[in-house]
Amino acid sequence: MSVYKHNYRGYDGKLTPGWARIFVLTRYGYAEAWSSKITVGIFILGLLPCIVFLFAIYLANNPMARLLLGNHAPRILAINAGFFLDLLQVQAGPALVLAAWLAPRLITFDLADDALPILLSHPISRFGYVFGKWVALSASLSLVTWIPALVLFAYQGYSSPQPWAAANLPIAVGLIAGALIWIAFLSLLGLALSSWVKWRVVATGVIFAAILVPAGVGGVMGAVLRTKWGLLLNVPFMMSVLWQRLLGVPGFASSEASLPTAGISAMLMLACLLCVAMLYARIRAREVVRG
Amino acid sequence: MKDQIIFENVSKFYGEVLGVNRISLAIPSGVTALVGPNGSGKTTLLNLMTGLVQPSSGHISVLGLSPGSATEFFSNVGYCTQFDSFPRGITGWQFIFDSLMLHGMSKAEAARLTRESLERVQLGDAANRRIAGYSKGMRQKTRLAQAIAHHPRVLVLDEPLNGLDPMARAESIALFEELGRQGMHLLISSHILDEVDRISDRVVLITGGYLIAEGNIHQVRQEVREKPMQVFIRCDHPEVLASKMFAINHCVEARLHADGGGLLLRTGDIDQFYSALNAIAAEGLVKIEAVAPADDDANAIYQYLIGPDGSAL
Repeated sequence: MSVYKHNYRGYDGKLTPGWARIFVLTRYGYAEAWSSKITVGIFILGLLPCIVFLFAIYLANNPMARLLLGNHAPRILAINAGFFLDLLQVQAGPALVLAAWLAPRLITFDLADDALPILLSHPISRFGYVFGKWVALSASLSLVTWIPALVLFAYQGYSSPQPWAAANLPIAVGLIAGALIWIAFLSLLGLALSSWVKWRVVATGVIFAAILVPAGVGGVMGAVLRTKWGLLLNVPFMMSVLWQRLLGVPGFASSEASLPTAGISAMLMLACLLCVAMLYARIRAREVVRG
Repeated sequence: MKDQIIFENVSKFYGEVLGVNRISLAIPSGVTALVGPNGSGKTTLLNLMTGLVQPSSGHISVLGLSPGSATEFFSNVGYCTQFDSFPRGITGWQFIFDSLMLHGMSKAEAARLTRESLERVQLGDAANRRIAGYSKGMRQKTRLAQAIAHHPRVLVLDEPLNGLDPMARAESIALFEELGRQGMHLLISSHILDEVDRISDRVVLITGGYLIAEGNIHQVRQEVREKPMQVFIRCDHPEVLASKMFAINHCVEARLHADGGGLLLRTGDIDQFYSALNAIAAEGLVKIEAVAPADDDANAIYQYLIGPDGSAL
């Protein structure tokens, strides 16, 4: 018989707060997302339209350019809510491409590598895991949406001879709010769909399809049933209407095709809830495992 | 009980599929082996214990903690899964370091503990190589290092000896024994029964989702009364001992050892058997050199209680 000293002690040092651990996942997700040259390529291509808009702002505030355009100058070179609505609509495209590329990288790899049991046997909840990835994706999408848009807004404010920025502050607020709604929706949709598709390339295709196919179905539905409510399946259209209202641009959609803000909000909420349900069902440490 | 792992009437069903059924257990500190055939519910039991799946009914408490309080619970539990999967492109060092950051360590502390755990599993030299280039044994060691890195009080190991070469196996067993002696709770799932005997003195036998037996190996063996116990006795006159023993009713079989210097006896009552053996030795007719149980091990218990086909007998 041996007598052993039970001198083993668990770790009793200081720990970082729970929320900080979620951002560890964010940091690694972000690093994972940007480790690909394709991500950098999409990002650079996604910023090219911003350079065109930047040049337009330069021309609008350049006396020589205004002189050359003559009477057409106020119409062509108007930097107003409509100008920033166009910017937001254009930048929504690169955001979609980036989401479709990045979301599968953030979740599909973990599922394919069966990394969830290891990750979730840490003090991280399923919500924490998804939230960490969601923040990483949202931060990436911000780089091609509201951040460059705000830079252009600031540049216009700096270039304009009049005190433009203060007078048009609601545009900046609308820009940020509109872009954040799009980013939040895209990130959730991307993560939810990626969690159900193990092949990354297929997941990318499914994300595009989830945006474009319902829009087509909604169009057919509207034409057959002669109703505007089919547009509630057209996410790009709904977002455009929402952005128009957030930025205060008048007369974007015809009254027949116009959708109530409450209807758009309810539809987006419904889609988000569906995404949450999909993530809840899929992001688990274990499926049916017996052994 | 704050120093035990407690399962109270725990059941887990995956839809209509039974995972485990009505398991009640109390596991003290030290090394406990979880033994059962494939599909018996071992991994389900480990997943329940580590909070990765929720029980359909019943209650689980690990040192008085439940997985609901995730920070405290996972600070005290280390889980080495059997799945050979790692995030791609990551080095052994990064894997352990990231894990410690998720446990809430500061960067400096995480670096210190990473170094310590990698050295403990003899993986210090390969720490900065990508895991994708590791051998199966090195990957197994990496998982083990990750499970022990944050100094948990409970270590759950799912088939930890798979893929290890004999040297690495011996090192791992020595590490488990050391941790068990120091007072850590180790629950090891294994199907290598010879090594189960070496690692642990407590077993939990499970098959078809049902608990078959649990406790000290020798005590469990003694409880299996319908299977006569085998005892090997080395002595100078085995034939004399055999004839004497056959005079006792509970001795059911005697076999002479091939070298003529020993005897294998099967008895239905081990206590009376040892009393009779003492008496024979005291008579001086036979000089007994050694007595050892021949089927008092995990393998024998497994064969007697579960059988070669995995169905409980």
